[in-house]
Amino acid sequence: MSNNIDFKELWNRGKAGAPDISEIFAKADQLNRKTRNKIWRANVVLSLTVLFMIFIWWYYQPQLITTKIGLTLVIVAIVVFLATTNQMMPLLVKTNVETDSQHFLEQMIRIKQKQEFLNKIMLTGYFIFLSLGIFLYMIEYAGRGSLTFQVIAYGITFAWIAFNWFYIRTKTIKKQQKAINDIVDRLEGVNKQLLD
Amino acid sequence: MVFEDIYRDYWNKVFRICMGYVNDADWAKDIAQETFIIIWKQLPKFRNESAVGTWIFRIASNNCLRQIERQSRMPKTELPEQIEDKPDPDKEWQSKLLYKCIAELPETDRIIISLELEDVKQAEIAKITGLSESNVRVKVFRIKEKLTQKFKQYEQ
Repeated sequence: MSNNIDFKELWNRGKAGAPDISEIFAKADQLNRKTRNKIWRANVVLSLTVLFMIFIWWYYQPQLITTKIGLTLVIVAIVVFLATTNQMMPLLVKTNVETDSQHFLEQMIRIKQKQEFLNKIMLTGYFIFLSLGIFLYMIEYAGRGSLTFQVIAYGITFAWIAFNWFYIRTKTIKKQQKAINDIVDRLEGVNKQLLD
Repeated sequence: MVFEDIYRDYWNKVFRICMGYVNDADWAKDIAQETFIIIWKQLPKFRNESAVGTWIFRIASNNCLRQIERQSRMPKTELPEQIEDKPDPDKEWQSKLLYKCIAELPETDRIIISLELEDVKQAEIAKITGLSESNVRVKVFRIKEKLTQKFKQYEQ
């Protein structure tokens, strides 16, 4: 066994034939296309949803202002929801990879924390807007039925909303939080290595 | 500064740094390619404020650090297999062992020692990592010790 190992010589043996430069350009192109497709898809889904709502508006000709406000709120809720689930977040926050490691790690931690905050706000906003929207939208149509019908209609709707608010929303937020916290923990751990 | 020249001069250097970080040739190639995509895109904006090497190594190191976000992938940890068909099988095996040992170090140590082995000046390493020069010197010394120990342990 050698006592003085020439690490540099061993290190320099690590080689991988450089792929043809066109491969880099092709990959860059592919990445661009992917981002473009993502934005495009998100936009199509958003537009279709809004179009569908406008169709309802136009077709059923609601009389009360509450119905119109309700529909608007539902549209806002769906837009907010799609914006979060489509993970458009990375498109909104730019990272600077040209800075030093320490700043880069701090930046990543900040972005993750911001993302966690936004997820929570957006999900809560989604549920509030959706519930309010449905409630307002129902006033006009439920008002046409008997009292029993109204009680049952609102009862079922609110039971469903409560279930979503207390169970689904809480669970989703917890899950998202855990995933982000795990990453933040690891990033902080690595950042600490630099300070040691 | 022409991208083609940078690519030719720096591909192996960037690849080795990525390889030291993940010890997985395919994965390292991916990170290296991503690094060159960024270099290609940012090159027109690069204004010789720092040496081009420092700039490239910063992007490469940060791209390595970004892998922390990917939970599912971990650096390869199995011992390299004996290689027979290369001109110097013993050295080849040792080289693979070295990369394995580096990939087992803490994340930032991997980057620092990789840059050191790549003959990057310690003042430059300080600029790349954001540490002070004296801190880099101390760290390099400690990491080398740790690495030697690890290496010998596996070699036995």
